[in-house]
Amino acid sequence: MAEILQILILGLALGGVIALMGSGLSLVFGVMRIVNLAHPSLIIAGAYITYWAFKLLGVDPIVMLPVASVIMAAIGVLLYRLMLERQTKSAKYSEMTVLLTFALAMVVEGALGGLFTNTQRIVSPDYATDAFFIGDLFIPKGQLYAGIVSLTIIVGLTLFLKYSRLGYAIRATTQNREAAELLGVNVNFISVLAFAIGIGLAGAAGSLVSFVFSFFPAKHGEWIAMLMSVVVLGGMGSILGTVVAALFLSVIAAFVGAWIGATWSTLTFFVALFLILLVRPQGLFGEKPEMA
Amino acid sequence: MTLARILAATTAMVFAATAAHAESIRIGASLPITGGLSVSGEKHKRGYELCTKLINEAGGILGRQVDLIVSDNRSDPATAINQYERFINVDKVDAVYGTFSSRLTFPVAAILSKYNMVHAVPSGGALRIYEQGYRNLFYFQVSAAEYTGKDVTAVIHDLIPAGEGPKSAAIVSADDFFANAIAAGLLGEKVKDPATDKEIADLAPGYLANAGIKVVMQEKWPEEGFNDWLNLANSIKRSGAEMVVGLTASAEEAVQLTRALKTVGATPKLVYLSQGAQNEFIEGVGKDAADGVMIHTTWHKDVPFESTLAGKPFSNGDFVKAFTAAYGVEPDEDSAIPFAVCQGIEQAITGAGSTDNAKMAEWLHARTKDAPVQTVLGRFNWDERGLAQNKSHIMTQWQGGNLKFVYPKGEFEGVVPFSYPKAGF
Repeated sequence: MAEILQILILGLALGGVIALMGSGLSLVFGVMRIVNLAHPSLIIAGAYITYWAFKLLGVDPIVMLPVASVIMAAIGVLLYRLMLERQTKSAKYSEMTVLLTFALAMVVEGALGGLFTNTQRIVSPDYATDAFFIGDLFIPKGQLYAGIVSLTIIVGLTLFLKYSRLGYAIRATTQNREAAELLGVNVNFISVLAFAIGIGLAGAAGSLVSFVFSFFPAKHGEWIAMLMSVVVLGGMGSILGTVVAALFLSVIAAFVGAWIGATWSTLTFFVALFLILLVRPQGLFGEKPEMA
Repeated sequence: MTLARILAATTAMVFAATAAHAESIRIGASLPITGGLSVSGEKHKRGYELCTKLINEAGGILGRQVDLIVSDNRSDPATAINQYERFINVDKVDAVYGTFSSRLTFPVAAILSKYNMVHAVPSGGALRIYEQGYRNLFYFQVSAAEYTGKDVTAVIHDLIPAGEGPKSAAIVSADDFFANAIAAGLLGEKVKDPATDKEIADLAPGYLANAGIKVVMQEKWPEEGFNDWLNLANSIKRSGAEMVVGLTASAEEAVQLTRALKTVGATPKLVYLSQGAQNEFIEGVGKDAADGVMIHTTWHKDVPFESTLAGKPFSNGDFVKAFTAAYGVEPDEDSAIPFAVCQGIEQAITGAGSTDNAKMAEWLHARTKDAPVQTVLGRFNWDERGLAQNKSHIMTQWQGGNLKFVYPKGEFEGVVPFSYPKAGF
C-alpha cells in the first residue's frame, strides 16, 4: 500500500508541473487557434531568465516567477505583433501558425544557444533535492512546491477567465470569434492579451521547470510531444482538461515506470494521444470549450 | 590604362586567393551542435576549433593552413551521414574528424569506410562499430565501452579492503548504444551485430559476477524524453542495492539521476556513473551529492600527458592553459578528446607526408607502443579494428567539489586515496 501511495505522490507531483507547462499552450490554442509549437522553447527561455537571476543575484526561482512571466508576456506581445497578427485573415490560419511557430522554435533554440551556449543548466535551491519524509513515504519538496504554485496559478487563471470582464471576452472569443466581434469585443486586443498570457505562463512554467528538470536550448524537442499529448487528451483549449490530463497521464506513467519499466513510462503519453485521437478526437473536455 | 591595371591587379588577387585556398588543408566535422547531444557536441566543436587554431598559428600542417568546416547534424544520424557525404563529394575535404556518440558514429563509419577516409573517432565506444571489418577506424579513447567494467571492478578489487566492497548492485541505464555497451560487459551479455545478428563477443559471466556482486535491479530508460527520475531513484532505493551503476548517455542524465537519488534519500555505499566528469555535473548536483561518485574518463586535467602539436612538445597542461585562455572555462574530456583527434590527424598527415588518406591510415596503423601518436590523452596505437592498445581508463572520483583521479595507482603523480563508502548524498 505504501508503494502505491508513493508512486501516486510522485505521479501527481510531476503532473502538477506538466499541467502548467501545457496550460499556456492550451489557452493560446483555445482563444486564437494557434498551435504554438514554440511553447516549450519559450518555457526554456523563462528557465534561463530564472537560472541567471539565481546564479548572479541569488534570487529564488519561485520569487523570480512573476518577473519571468512578465518578461515572457512582453516577448509574447512582440512575437504576436511581428509574426502572427498579419496571418489572422488567412484562410488557413491554424495551419500557418503551425509552420510559423515551428520556425520560431528553431529561431528561439538558436538564439538561446548563441546567448547561453548549449551547456545544460539546472537551478539548485536547497529544496530542489530535499523531501519531506513521513514514515516510509517521501514527498519531494521541489516538485511539491512547483506543483502547488502551478495549480495556484491555474486556479487564478481560471477565476480570471470565469469572473473578470476580460475573462468573459477571452471566453467569448474562444467560443465564437465572429460572434464576439459582432457583440463589440475587440478580438484583436483579446488575441494579443491571450497570447501574452499564454507566453507569460510559459515564463512561469520555465521558472518552475528550472529546478525540476535540467534544460538546454534543444530540450524543447523532447517536451513538445509530451505537452501536445496532455493538451489533446484534455481537449485543446480547455485549461481544466489540460490539468486533469497532465495529472492523469503522469500518474499512469509513474505506475508504468515502477511496475512495467522506465522504458515504457514515456510511451504512456503517446499511447494516450493515439487512443484519444482514435476514440474521442475532441479530448476529454472537448465538448465544453468554455474555461473550467 | 588605369582600368586595365585595376583589372589586372584584381585578377592577380583572385588567383592568389584561389591558390591560397587550394593550398589549405580542408577538414570536415559533422557535430551535434543542436538536439539531444548538443551539450557534448558544442564542446567537441571547441576542441576541434582550438586545436586547428593553434596548428595554424604554428604554421599549419606541411606548411599549409587548415580550414575547418563544422556542420551541425542536429543529433540526427541521417543528417550526419549526408554531411560527411557532402564534405567528401562537394567540399572536397582532405580529411575528416569524427562525430560525437556511438549512435551517430555507427552509421557514419560505413560512409567513411566507403570513401576510404581515415575515421578518427572521438566518441563512439560500442564494440559493434569496430567489428564491421572496417580498417579505417582509429578510436581516440581507451577501449570499447563493453570493457569499461574491467576498470570499474578493478577499483573495487584493488582499492576497497577485502570483504567491505559492495555485495549487490542496481544497474540503471539509458537505452543507448554507449550505455547498453557498458551494461553488456558488466552483466556478461552477448554482443551481436545488429545487421547480421552474428555474435561478436560473449562477455559472460560479466565483470560484476566476476567481482562477486549480485545484480538486484536492472532498469532502462528511453533515449529521449524521460522525466520520471524520482520514480526510478525510488525503485533503486527500494532495491537495497549497495552499489548504484548509472549508465547515462549524457552529463544531463547523470545530473538528473544523482539529484533524484539525493531527493529520495538513497544510501548506497558506491555510485559509479558513466558520465559526470563534466563541469556541469558538479554545478547541477552540488558538492555534497557529488562527493564519492566515481566516473571513468579518458582524460583528466592534472594527468601529466606529454604530446606534440605542430611538431613541438605540447603538454596536457599547455592544453588546459590554452583552452582556459580561449574560452574562459577549464576544459573537460568532451573537449580534450576531440583535441586529441585533431592532433592525431595532424600527426598522420605529417607522418604520411600528404593528405592521401590511404597513406595516413597506413602510418596510423604502423604506430606502436614505442612510436605512438602522442596526444593530450596520452599515447595511442591501435589494433587492426581501430581499438586503442595498452591503455586503461582513468578512474576519477568527486572529492570536496573537485574531480580527483584515484586509479590506476602508481602510473601518474597526483593519484589520491579512494573515498569509500559514500557518505550519503
